[in-house]
Amino acid sequence: MDFAVVINNVGFLIFQGFLGLGNFTGGTLRLAVPAIIFGFILGIFIGMGRLARSRWIYLPATLYVEFFRGVPLVMVIFWFWFIIPVVVGKSLPEYSVALAAFVIFEAAYFGEIVRAGIQSVPRGQAEAATATGLTRAQTMRHVILPQALRNMIPSLVTQCIVLLKDTSLASIIGYVDLTKAAQIVNNREIRPFELYLFIAVIYWLCSYGMSRYARHIERRLAVNPA
Amino acid sequence: MKRLLLLLATFISVAGSITVARAETTLEKISQTGIFTIGTRTGSPPFAYVNKNNEWVGFSIDLVETSILPLISKKLNKQIKLEKKESAPNTRIPLLTSNAVDLIAETMTDTQSRREQVDFSLTFFATGAQFLVKRGTPIKGIQTIAGKRIAAQQGSTNAKIIRERVPTAKLLEFPDQPAAFQALAQGQVQAYTNDGIQLAGLKAKAPKPDEWAIVGEFFSYEPYGMAMRKNDSDFRQVVNVGLMEAIESGKYFELYEKWFGPKGEVPYPLAPETKRFLQMQVVPK
Amino acid sequence: MTYNFDWSVLWRGQSGLWLLQGLVTTIEISVVAWVVAFTLGIFSGAVRTVSITPLRWLASFYVEFFRNVPLLVWMFFWYFAVPPLLPQPLQDWLFDHGAEFWAGVVALGVYHGARFSEVMRSGIQSIPKTLFEAAVSTGLTMAQAYRLIIIPIALRLIIPPATNESLNLIKNSSVALTIGVAELTFQTRQIETYTAKAFEALTAGTLIYLVLCLAIATTMSQLEKRFAIPGMITKRQTGEF
Repeated sequence: MDFAVVINNVGFLIFQGFLGLGNFTGGTLRLAVPAIIFGFILGIFIGMGRLARSRWIYLPATLYVEFFRGVPLVMVIFWFWFIIPVVVGKSLPEYSVALAAFVIFEAAYFGEIVRAGIQSVPRGQAEAATATGLTRAQTMRHVILPQALRNMIPSLVTQCIVLLKDTSLASIIGYVDLTKAAQIVNNREIRPFELYLFIAVIYWLCSYGMSRYARHIERRLAVNPA
Repeated sequence: MKRLLLLLATFISVAGSITVARAETTLEKISQTGIFTIGTRTGSPPFAYVNKNNEWVGFSIDLVETSILPLISKKLNKQIKLEKKESAPNTRIPLLTSNAVDLIAETMTDTQSRREQVDFSLTFFATGAQFLVKRGTPIKGIQTIAGKRIAAQQGSTNAKIIRERVPTAKLLEFPDQPAAFQALAQGQVQAYTNDGIQLAGLKAKAPKPDEWAIVGEFFSYEPYGMAMRKNDSDFRQVVNVGLMEAIESGKYFELYEKWFGPKGEVPYPLAPETKRFLQMQVVPK
Repeated sequence: MTYNFDWSVLWRGQSGLWLLQGLVTTIEISVVAWVVAFTLGIFSGAVRTVSITPLRWLASFYVEFFRNVPLLVWMFFWYFAVPPLLPQPLQDWLFDHGAEFWAGVVALGVYHGARFSEVMRSGIQSIPKTLFEAAVSTGLTMAQAYRLIIIPIALRLIIPPATNESLNLIKNSSVALTIGVAELTFQTRQIETYTAKAFEALTAGTLIYLVLCLAIATTMSQLEKRFAIPGMITKRQTGEF
C-alpha cells in the first residue's frame, strides 16, 4: 500500500476534483451547490403544484414527480447529454448539461419534501389565517411556508447529502468531479485502492458532517413543537 | 394503474413531438459561438491523454491546435477558442451527431461502415491491431486467443473484429482504454487488443513498462481519420487543407518527432511507406 | 445536422435482443443485491436498537461507513481495489465467473443494506417498548423476542419506506454499467454505439425502467393495504437517505 500517489496528486484531486479550480470542467462543489439551490427553488414550485386545486397544475406536477422518481439518474444524465444538444441545435458545455440534469432530477425529490412539509403544518393554521382575512396566497407566504420550512429542514439536509453523493455520477459524462479526478490519476498510476479510499474518506467527511448537522437541527426543533 | 398509463402516454407524446432545431453547418456554428469543440481521449497516450502534470496533451490535440484551429480562425475572420471534451469509442459518434462536439480528434479508425454515419478527414496515421499481454504469457497473436479472455473498448473496430473472427474468445468490452488496461493488469483478462501504436503508448507510460509485451502481427488495418458530421463539405475542406498544409510544410513531421521520435514520449519510427502515403495525400493546390 | 428518427432500430438487428438481455441482467443483479441488502438491513437495523452497546456501535459503524460514500465510488472500490487483495486462486475463479457482476452485487447490496438498516431501525423504534417488555416477561430471551415478535411486526410497518428503498436499489443498479455489467442502461449505450440512434435507445430504456418501477410500486401498495396493522401505520419516512 503506497499512499505517495495520493500525496503527489492531492492538489489535483482537491482543487480540480472537489472545488473545480483547474484546467478541466469540473468540481464536485461547483456542481452540488448550485444544484441544491436551483433544485430546491424548482422543488418549491413542484411541491406546491402537487397541492394545487386546479387539475391543470396538479396533474403535470404529479406526473413530473412520478416520472423522475421512476427512472435512474444515470438515464436522465444521458438524456440531457445526448438529446438536449440535438433539440437546441448546438453544443452545450458539460457543466450546463450536468447542472440541468441534476436540478431537474433532484427537484422532483425536493418537491416531495416540500409537499410533506406543507402537509405537516396543522390545518388549523390555514383555517385561522383565512379567518383573519388573509388570501390563499398570503396564507401560504406568511403562515404556511415559514412553518413548513422549519419542519422540512432535516429532510432537506438529508436530500442535500444525497445530491452531493449523486454528483459523482457526473463523472460518467466526463465532468471532472472528485470521482473523475481520481479516475484520471488512477488511469495513469494504477493505484485504485489508495485513490478510491482517499476520495471515499472525503465524501464520508462531508456526508457525515452534514448528517450530524441534520440530527443537531432535528433535536433543536423537537424541543419546540409547532 | 391509471396513473401509470397517463404517465406513459404523456412521455410518449412528449418524446414523439420533439422537433429538431434547424440544420446549420459546422462553420456557421463555430462562427456564431466562437468556440471549436473537439472530442478527444483522456487515456490514450500519446495521442490524447492527461500527463503527470495533469495537463491534457497529445499528438492529435497538437495537430488540431497547430494546423486546423488557425485555419478555422483565418477562414471565419475571428479568433476561435478551442474546447476539448472527453470522448470514447462508445460515445464519439453520438457526441458528434448531437452537436456536442464538432470534430473527433483522437484515435478513430476510418471504416466504410462508419462512413455511413460520419465523414472522415484525410488519414493522419496508419497502424494495425495487435495484442498487449503480460510478458511471458502463451498468447502470441490472433491465432492463439480462442477461449481466452480478451479486453477491448466498447464500440471499437478491434472489438468488432474479435467478435466476428474469433467467436470462441471471451470478449469483455470496457468503456475506455484505462479501464481495459486495468483489467489486464489485474488479470481479469489475458490480453488487451487495440491498435499497435496505442498499445506502445500504454506500455511506455505504464508504471513498469518491461512487464508488458506487444504480440502478434497486425490483424487489421487501422487508418486514423478525424471524424465530423456528414454533408458538411466546407468544414471538411478546412480540416483537410489544414492537415495537408501540415504535412507539406513539415509541421506534421515535427510533431511526429516530438511525440514518436527517439526522444519522444513513445518511440515509434515512421515507416517509409507510411510517410510516402501521407505525402501522397497532399493534392496540388 | 438534422437527426433522422428511425424507431425500427429497436427491433431490427441486435437491439431488441440487447434490451432484453439488459433487462434480465438488471433484474438478476437487483434481486441478488436485494437479498444481500435486506438481510444485512434487518440484522443491523435490529442490532442498532438493542441495549448491548458494543454490538450497537458495530452496527452503527457499518451503516455510517457505507451509506455516506457514493455508490459509484463503492463500485470502483469493490471491482478494482479489492480483487488484487484476494488470494490468487479466488481471483482467477472470480474473473472467469463474471467478476464485474459480483462486484456490482456486493457494492449494491452492502450500500443498500446500510440504507435498509435505517428503515428497519425506524420501524422497530416506532413499536411501543411495552410490547418488547411484555414479550420478555413471558420468558422469551431477547433474541427470541426480536425474532418472533418485534421483527415480524416491524416488517409489516415498514412496507412503504422499504418499497421506496427497493426501487432505489433497482434504479441504482444502473451505476454498475461503469464497471462493465451489461445491464439495461449499458445496453441502451450499446445500441447507441452501434446504430447512433441515441434518442430511440434512450426512450426504450426509460420506458422499461418506468414500467418496472411503477409496476413494483403499485404491487407493493396493494400488499401494504393487505398487511397493514390497524392503528399502527408508521409516519411516512422523510428522513432516510
